[in-house]
Amino acid sequence: MKTFYKLATFTLMMTVLAVSAFAQERTTSRTQGPETTLVNLIEGQGTINSSGNPSWDGLSEFVLIPGAGLMGASSASTALYLGFTGGSEADIGNMVLYEVPRNGSTVLKVEKVTLGASSSPSIVLTNTSTCPTQPVSVTNPCFVRLDTVKLALSPLYDYYLTIYFTLDTNNETISGVGQVSSPGALSGFSLYGDQTRVGVKGALPTNENSDAAPFFLAYITNE
Amino acid sequence: MKTIYKFATLTLMMLAVSVCGFSAVKPENLVRGVVGPVTANTSWAGYSNLALIPGAALIPVTSTQTVFYLGFTAGTEADINNMVLYTTARGSLKITAVTPVKLGGVSNPSIDLVNPTVCPVIEISAFNPCIVRLDPTTIVLSALNDYYLVVYFTASDTNNNSLGLTDPSFGQSSLRGGYVSGTDDSRLSVGASIPLTLSNQPDGLMYVMTD
Repeated sequence: MKTFYKLATFTLMMTVLAVSAFAQERTTSRTQGPETTLVNLIEGQGTINSSGNPSWDGLSEFVLIPGAGLMGASSASTALYLGFTGGSEADIGNMVLYEVPRNGSTVLKVEKVTLGASSSPSIVLTNTSTCPTQPVSVTNPCFVRLDTVKLALSPLYDYYLTIYFTLDTNNETISGVGQVSSPGALSGFSLYGDQTRVGVKGALPTNENSDAAPFFLAYITNE
Repeated sequence: MKTIYKFATLTLMMLAVSVCGFSAVKPENLVRGVVGPVTANTSWAGYSNLALIPGAALIPVTSTQTVFYLGFTAGTEADINNMVLYTTARGSLKITAVTPVKLGGVSNPSIDLVNPTVCPVIEISAFNPCIVRLDPTTIVLSALNDYYLVVYFTASDTNNNSLGLTDPSFGQSSLRGGYVSGTDDSRLSVGASIPLTLSNQPDGLMYVMTD
C-alpha cells in the first residue's frame, strides 16, 4: 500500500510539472501567436447595404442565430456587434438573447444582453468615442460591441437576439447595416411592440417568410 | 508523510475523473445545416431522397466520424429500404466510394415516429419536427470530395405515403437536395453517376455533425 501511495505521489508530481509546462507554452503562444485572434462564431454580414430600413420606433427586431450555422470555434462567451448606418441616437428599450430548440420556437432560456451594463442603453451615434467616423452612413458604418454575453453558443440550440427600440423620435431615423442580398447565416425580422419579455416556455413568433439578413446584428465573435 | 501520500493519491484520482469529464466529445457542425423554420414535404413511398454535402462547405473541425440527422414532420412510421453515402470528387457526379449509413445497426430501419423515445414531442409536425440521429458513420469528410446521402423509402408502403420530411423555408444551409421518383438510387456502384444535380435546400437531412 505504501508503494502505491508513493507511486501516486510521484505520478501527481509529474502531472503537475507537465501541466505547468504546457500552460507556459500556451501562455507564450497566446502572447505571440494567433490564439488571441478574434474569430467568428458564425458567418456575419459582408457587404453593407442598409436599404429598406423601416422606422424603428416601437419595433422589435428578432435575429436568428442558428446553431446549425456555428463554425466550431470554442468560446465560453459571445460578443455581439450592432451596426448602424444612420441616425443620431438609438434608444433601446430592452435587449435579450433567447435560447430555443434547433429550428424551434419555445423559449428554453433568456439571457440579458447589455451595453455598459444596461439592457436599455441609448447609443449616441454622433459621439466620436462611440462612432469615430462622422457622420455615420452606409460608407461609414458604426459598429458597437455590446457587453460580452457569458454564454457559450451550442450547435444543439438556436438563439434569437431580440432588441426593442423605444417608441420615440430618435428611433424614427436610425438605420442598420443589414439586408444584404446574400444573407450569410443570420436572418432577421421585425415586429411591432416590445417582444423582449417572452418568458421561459413561452413561444417566440415564427418568421415563416424571409431569410433576409438582419438590420442591426452584424457580427458574432468570441470576444 | 503517510498523510501526504494519501492526499496526493486522492488528488490524483480527482484529476483523473476531471480529465475524463473534459474529454467528452462536444458535437460540432461539419457543415452549415438547415436554418430556421421548416415546412412539410409529404408522401415518399418509392422515392430516393438525395442530399449533397459539398466539400467546399466543410467547416474545419476535426472529427473521426460523421453523424447525420434526419427531420420528419408527418406520419407514424418511416420505412427506409436503404441508406448510403456516396463519395465523389469535388464537383463531379461520378461515384468513387460507397459507405453504408445505418440506424440501430441496420441500413433499412423502420422509424417509429409515434414513439416518444424517438420523437419526444408527439404529434410531430412542421412546428414540432422530429429529429432522428443516425448511427455515426465512420468516414472523415474531406474538403476535396463531395458527398451524397441517399435514402430510399420503400415503395408501395402506406406508412411512407403519409410520411413527411422537413422542407427548409430558408435558403441558408450549405446542404443541397433533390429526389427521384420510382427508382432506388441507393444501390449505385463505384463508377456510376449521381442521377441528378442538386440545387434546392434538402428535404429530410437537417444537420451533419461530429456527433
